[in-house]
Amino acid sequence: MSFPLSITAVKHLFLSRFLQAGNRTIAGLLLLALPAFLSGCGPISSGRLPQNPNSPPRAMVAGVPFFAQEDLQCGPAALAMTLHWSGLAVQPSDLAPEVFSPGLQGSLQSSLVGAARRHGRVAYPIAGSESLLAEISAGNPVIVLVNLGFFWYPKWHYAVAIGFDQGLGEVILHSGVNPNEHLSSRVFLNIWERGEYWGLLVLPPDRLPAGVTEEAWLEAVAGLERAEQWREAAIGYDTALKRWKQSFGAWMGLGNSRYGLRDHAGAAKAFRRATLLQPENGMAFNNLAHILSEQGKRKEALAAAQRAVELGGPLLDSFRQTLEKIKAMPVLKNNRKRGK
Amino acid sequence: MLQKMLKPVSFFLVFSFLLLDFSVQTAHAQMIDTSTVIAAQKKNTDRKQVAAFLGREDVQQVMMQQGIDAVEAQKRVASLSDAELAKISQAMEQLPAGGDGIGTIVGAAVFIFVVLLITDILGLTHVFSFVNHRR
Repeated sequence: MSFPLSITAVKHLFLSRFLQAGNRTIAGLLLLALPAFLSGCGPISSGRLPQNPNSPPRAMVAGVPFFAQEDLQCGPAALAMTLHWSGLAVQPSDLAPEVFSPGLQGSLQSSLVGAARRHGRVAYPIAGSESLLAEISAGNPVIVLVNLGFFWYPKWHYAVAIGFDQGLGEVILHSGVNPNEHLSSRVFLNIWERGEYWGLLVLPPDRLPAGVTEEAWLEAVAGLERAEQWREAAIGYDTALKRWKQSFGAWMGLGNSRYGLRDHAGAAKAFRRATLLQPENGMAFNNLAHILSEQGKRKEALAAAQRAVELGGPLLDSFRQTLEKIKAMPVLKNNRKRGK
Repeated sequence: MLQKMLKPVSFFLVFSFLLLDFSVQTAHAQMIDTSTVIAAQKKNTDRKQVAAFLGREDVQQVMMQQGIDAVEAQKRVASLSDAELAKISQAMEQLPAGGDGIGTIVGAAVFIFVVLLITDILGLTHVFSFVNHRR
């Protein structure tokens, strides 16, 4: 008990003396070191990756073009590189108005995510070096957020991780004005840790990440819906259904996206599949009721809405509103379709 | 001057207040969007995950050491709110599946943390001050 205490005491003594005697020296040294960090969105200085038995010794993603960033424009540059790789010919200058916030002198992570979605690409966040190596090994470039400075003097920077070599202990990045920069993985992990190991995949909606989970993929695809990219969202849910055939969320999303595409028949089909998967869940019946009512199938719509209300749950109020709305709809107009 | 201003200003203020929306999450007759569906599905998974965790043999052992009735704990999990369950399942995600010597020690610490977090929320133990007890 006394042992660790005495060590801290010695440390304190040493530190305070050092600080008193060398205050100016330290300040001078810090000042000398600062310019290296001052260049926000600038190139990274060079310096190993922890051995990962699950990944191949080295990997490199092909087909990622390099765009040298202009002043402070690392966000648009990084996004343009990944969008290009995903098959969209977009220039960093096209992206700057969507991504860059002049007031912040930089680009927010959420802006990158939003911009990727507006271009019909799935923005899938990842975290940690294991995921990074797995995605690069699978051929997916990763936008990484790094802090070139310290937490108390942050210099945020986006780069695109395109390769690694575990033997040499290197990560290969398109970063700033340096294409294919080989960075010691020790340095990389240090600066990436300060960025909380945040990484972002920008994928075509028919390409699942290597370390994909159903929930995270569905959330990422739902983001496409919010950006009203219905066609891409529908492809994303179709892709999910190839991997997770019983996914209630994917069938619901597919129905909503097809509805966005004005494909009412397709939407009704998807919602029916969802009701079969979770017959105890009112949400699918609620949405089915809306579609049926728009198709003019009043009787069936009323039955579905009634079923949703009977099943209840936290969304019961919404279900009731649906039922009321369908009940209030005029009957005459849709008479001709009622024969079915 | 002030007298003259008073009337238009107060009219303006009254009008602005009329524009404010004081409605509390009114339900609309709308399609349930996919984000809501996914969130609801996650809550279900959280519930199942926590129940499965409490069913594990090693977990039951820790609970026995704490003097907790495992059957009682299972019963109470059913009454937890979605937010509480989300908190527990988030902590559970940090439980390593297995590993080397160090990993196991860290794992054990997190493991006990999670068990105690659950039992704290259930009101069976009182280890963490940040857990709010009902009643």
